[in-house]
Amino acid sequence: MKRRSFIKGVGVAGLAMSAPGIILPAWSQEKVKLGCLFSSSGSMANVEGRLNYVVRMAAEELNRSGGVLGRQIEVVSTDPASDWPLYGQQARQLLEEEKVAAMFGCWTSASRKAVLPVVEQNDGLLYYPLHFEGEENSKNIVYMNSPPASSVLPALEYLMGDNGGKARRFFMLGSDYVWPRTINAQLKGYLQEKWDIKPDAWQEEYVPVGHSDFQSLVNQIKSFADESGEQPIVVLTVVGNSIPNFFQEYINQGITALDVPVLGLDVVEADLEGLDTESLVGHLNCWAYLQNAPGEANQRFLNAWSEYVKANNVPFRGDVAIDPMVSAYSSVYMWAQAAEKAGSFDVPEVRKAFPGTNFDCPSGYNIKLTAENNYVHRGVFIGSVNQNQGFDIVWQSPETTTPVPYSSYI
Amino acid sequence: MRQFILWICGGSKIDRRYLVVLGLIALVTIGLPLLGLGSLASSPLGLDGFQVNMVGQVMAFALLAMAHDLVWGYAGYLSLGHGLFFAVGGYLIGMHMIKLSYVGETGVPTFLDYMGLTEFPAYWSGFEYFGYAFLAVIVLSALVSFLIGFLAFRSRVVGVYFSILSQAFVYVVMLVMSRNDTGFGGNNGIADFQTLFGFSLGSIEFRVAIATISALILMIALIGLRRLTTGPLGKLLVGIRDDEDRLQVLGYETLWVKTGIWCLSAMLAAIAGLLYVPQIQVASPQLLSPIFSIEIAVWVAIGGRGYLYGAIIGAILVNVVKFWLTRFMPELWPFILTGSVLFVVVVLRNGLMDPGPLFTRAKFLMSWRAKKEKV
Amino acid sequence: MHRQYLDMLSAIVIACSLMFVTVSNALAQPILEPWDRFEIVKVWCSGEREARIISFQSLLEDVVDADAPAQQWAANLIGEYRDGNFRCARDTVYIPNDEQFLDVITGDRFKAIPDDAEKPFLNIPLRRALAPFASAVQLVAAEAPEERLLAAQGLARTLGDVSPALIESIYRQEKDMQVAAALEDVLVPAWLKSGDTDAQLKAISTLASNYTRTSRAALDKFLDQKTENVSEAVRTAAESARSSVHWVVQLSEVMTVAYHGLSYGSVLFLAALGLAIIFGLMGVINLAQAEFVMLGAYATWFVQEALRALAPGLLEYYLFIAIPFAFLVPALVGAFMEWSIVRHLYSRPLLTLLATWAVSLLLINLVRVTVGTQNLSFFTPEYLKSGFTVFGEFSITWSRLLSIFFAGITLIGTLFVIYRTRFGLRMRATTQHRQMAGCVGVSTRRTDAMAFAFGSGLAGIAGLALSTIYNVNPTMGTSLIIDSFIVVVVGGVGSVLGTALAALGIGQLNAIIEPQYGAVASKVLVLLAVILFIQQKPNGLFPRKGRR
Repeated sequence: MKRRSFIKGVGVAGLAMSAPGIILPAWSQEKVKLGCLFSSSGSMANVEGRLNYVVRMAAEELNRSGGVLGRQIEVVSTDPASDWPLYGQQARQLLEEEKVAAMFGCWTSASRKAVLPVVEQNDGLLYYPLHFEGEENSKNIVYMNSPPASSVLPALEYLMGDNGGKARRFFMLGSDYVWPRTINAQLKGYLQEKWDIKPDAWQEEYVPVGHSDFQSLVNQIKSFADESGEQPIVVLTVVGNSIPNFFQEYINQGITALDVPVLGLDVVEADLEGLDTESLVGHLNCWAYLQNAPGEANQRFLNAWSEYVKANNVPFRGDVAIDPMVSAYSSVYMWAQAAEKAGSFDVPEVRKAFPGTNFDCPSGYNIKLTAENNYVHRGVFIGSVNQNQGFDIVWQSPETTTPVPYSSYI
Repeated sequence: MRQFILWICGGSKIDRRYLVVLGLIALVTIGLPLLGLGSLASSPLGLDGFQVNMVGQVMAFALLAMAHDLVWGYAGYLSLGHGLFFAVGGYLIGMHMIKLSYVGETGVPTFLDYMGLTEFPAYWSGFEYFGYAFLAVIVLSALVSFLIGFLAFRSRVVGVYFSILSQAFVYVVMLVMSRNDTGFGGNNGIADFQTLFGFSLGSIEFRVAIATISALILMIALIGLRRLTTGPLGKLLVGIRDDEDRLQVLGYETLWVKTGIWCLSAMLAAIAGLLYVPQIQVASPQLLSPIFSIEIAVWVAIGGRGYLYGAIIGAILVNVVKFWLTRFMPELWPFILTGSVLFVVVVLRNGLMDPGPLFTRAKFLMSWRAKKEKV
Repeated sequence: MHRQYLDMLSAIVIACSLMFVTVSNALAQPILEPWDRFEIVKVWCSGEREARIISFQSLLEDVVDADAPAQQWAANLIGEYRDGNFRCARDTVYIPNDEQFLDVITGDRFKAIPDDAEKPFLNIPLRRALAPFASAVQLVAAEAPEERLLAAQGLARTLGDVSPALIESIYRQEKDMQVAAALEDVLVPAWLKSGDTDAQLKAISTLASNYTRTSRAALDKFLDQKTENVSEAVRTAAESARSSVHWVVQLSEVMTVAYHGLSYGSVLFLAALGLAIIFGLMGVINLAQAEFVMLGAYATWFVQEALRALAPGLLEYYLFIAIPFAFLVPALVGAFMEWSIVRHLYSRPLLTLLATWAVSLLLINLVRVTVGTQNLSFFTPEYLKSGFTVFGEFSITWSRLLSIFFAGITLIGTLFVIYRTRFGLRMRATTQHRQMAGCVGVSTRRTDAMAFAFGSGLAGIAGLALSTIYNVNPTMGTSLIIDSFIVVVVGGVGSVLGTALAALGIGQLNAIIEPQYGAVASKVLVLLAVILFIQQKPNGLFPRKGRR
């Protein structure tokens, strides 16, 4: 009795292992598949989960207007559960078994680094919607968002200029991993080279990813601010749940943007959702898209999103739109255009068609790819927190900026 | 023939289930090259690169589970920190693969470049030789486990305290390795591996090779551990698990036995890590996450502890289901995982290998119903 | 004939000019409001930054001579501008007021305003320039001493471009003591700069009574000057002031660290107490404890939402109303968990670890699937906003004080339950010697179940207290679980006092190391310290007495 149940169990395991190979090829004839690598569980779920739906929405819109190269798009979602190696695993599955034409995914650099070898070995395509540290230029990844040189530096210049308060002292607070460290390294190089600012004008502190108790750090910011006379600011590169925790502590200790303004480089509208932003008015962020961006394209996108949320019971707010959502949305259209231009779904052909593809992004800019690298040219917005948990636009670049993958300041 | 089988079973009894599992692994070892590379590769039974890779990963996990079972099932100590040794093997083989791509070249990988270094620190030297890396894996895992084990066992830390201690250790190391300044890529880990033993990591040849080697090592380890645990040492271990005080009263110095087994388990876990990382091509602090270490215990609990092959079955089953579900029904995976753990722990007690309680309950229910119907 | 015409003409002329005079008098603005309202709002809406600042300046100068209603109008106007309530239309500005809109120039109310009325954007430097002017205008205009005090405190933060002479004149006429003291703070930099010895001494004594870092920095700057400008007496006074301020500031910084330790320690205590009780009683480590904390926080949120919908008047007190719910919900879940799972595993503590871990995963995913992954937003009641300064640089925030308060109440309450109730008596008996307790007639099964529920309920209270400090989402508990373990293990299993002491100790250790070496290092060092501690005392601070 034991042996039989035993062998049965093993047989089931073996069958389960090969099941995907048997079931799937049958009904994939007509459609072209696109894969999603965004987590819907784990620590990244609250932010990445939305991106799955945005990609679906874009695919639906494309399908309504006839699909791509005459074929309907089918979006294959996975859930890497915020487990970085699992991103690589799922990517391998999507590329080798599902044979997706392109993948849209990843938020943290750790997950992107796990997918990079997979996408390079299989010559696949990954559209990466987040801003990140740069220092990478793979032909298999399309970087939809800006590296620091073209996004962070304009914001810093604004804060150091007349209109931003002439900041000359910098408290750099970040989560301890590659993105904040690289940003801070570039900032320090930039400050020393272009503004001749000495190292005693800044302080660098790192907290573990997911850190939530900012009492002593906000206290340190207070004493940093009390020294000397020049205007201090906080350059905030903490991510995830640390952001609302940090701001809550700021509110609790009664510090406002008039005292020490915060430039939150990873702060999106969704992070302000649980906070009482009256006392946070004036803090800044910078992205390639802000929800209050003017223009018709943005209105259309916002309406489409809120309709989609209602129609499909999406478990996220239909009145909040963040930059990565818009980047993911635009990436589907950019891919579609490249595929149409190339006349094929083969990655080498599509890649050849990249230069010149462009899209009227909801941010109001016409974003494009050039022959130089796989970085998309985006516009830059600097936003200021308002009382309604959103961002008012303080400044936006007159046109799209040229991305600089490798910073000269490191 | 019978002698040979008895020798493999490590004693005077023929254990059928053990032989079945062993046979299964042997089948995998032979089947992988055939179905992946050889003549049958293009047939419907053939395996593509993705499937070969999955089998290889599962084999590495099975080895890890078996190492864990050695300590839990036989010595009675539940380690919730075995991911630590797994990571030791994983990171060291990662260092070897990085060094390989920098042989004869200047410059450093990006994660060292970020720290402002222009050449490899001293502790990286020698890692371009596989032999050295392998030796480092064995030695370092033995050293770390000796430190932990000696400290813990000498202070008579037992039971739940030991488990929490092991969690605390793996958590501390995870925090340290997550720091960029530690020099191992921080949260991102180390990646950008290109080749190992001359094979490109993505090629089908390499995938088949490493999966086959994983299965082979699993088989050898299984036989070896089986012989070990059915001998006098095995009896000693069971004694420690059941009533350590009594054993000590009888005059046995249990400290060295426990520490020795603990170090052996750590070395096996490190070898499993050494086999795992080339297959996923990144070594990150995810390996050190406390949750992953708990999952190892879950594999062994579900499969059945104290049998060695139970751990293997548990690891294979849970991971195959995980891979499949997270791909096709991701919503369901956490619930199925928790449901099966609860089911196994409450109903089956000893895991799948010991379905006794299930049948006793079933028999009881059936006879109870029969009695009711009679009336 | 001509004469009559002339008379009529002159009568008409006189009448007209009289009318003209009265009408123009009526239409003309009162002489004591020496500005043009339209000009002001026009510049504030669309002028250049320099122009706006000049406008603030002149408004301040004019408001001193204006009469009371005009002063009031100016103070309101600048306050609304600072708060971002302006809606600039083509020829006037509207301000939202009680569901309607107020026209600032005429004072009329409207139900709706033109669509093209927009908010002017105030960038940071403009805000910084504006704040002191706003405070100064409000200082001049305000009648009640409380309002003047607020304005004076605002000016003390930054004086900006407001003329110190103006403040000096207001100070001379100030009757209220508190406001006068606040104005002294404002005048200190001006007094120090003036060569007048008396003024300088006055400034130094004001600084000496403010035990803050800014005070110390100001004294340092003053002392760094060349000796010729400063007389001997002033210099000695400044030096002694500086050393006393410095001493108090340092003391307050030490107190701040101690307070952080206390508050973090109380968080740990709340999270770990239930764990300690359950572990002490049943030898069961409940890995789902952190999720009970999360359930308590979620229960609090539901109570808040229910109050918001049904009884908005009571919303201020939602924290206290939620206490029974935050206790009961996790207690019930815990009781169910105990009955269905843990009960079967009492002889197998290691398996219980795995089972409770599975339950924790289940709870996280259930909450994630039902409520969602987003952070829950909590309404902050008035009594929890900001805090107060105890002395020097040592300030206390109300929300953390509340969590310390909760921890204290919980400690006392738990001690009471354990040492003064029959339930506690049964619990202690079962902990010390289960079999004997059973022999004497204690229903150990029932005690176990109730103790498990009690411990889970305590975790729920922890969630209630934490909801005011931390983010609430499904995974909020995962960062607490390892810390709670450590506290329980160090404190000694089953001992309430041990848990309290361990939590306090670990909290303080954390608070001391973190500013020096960073958050990661502090966690690592604390864990290593605990591991070493366990080597010495494997059973914790207060080991359990009695036989198992």
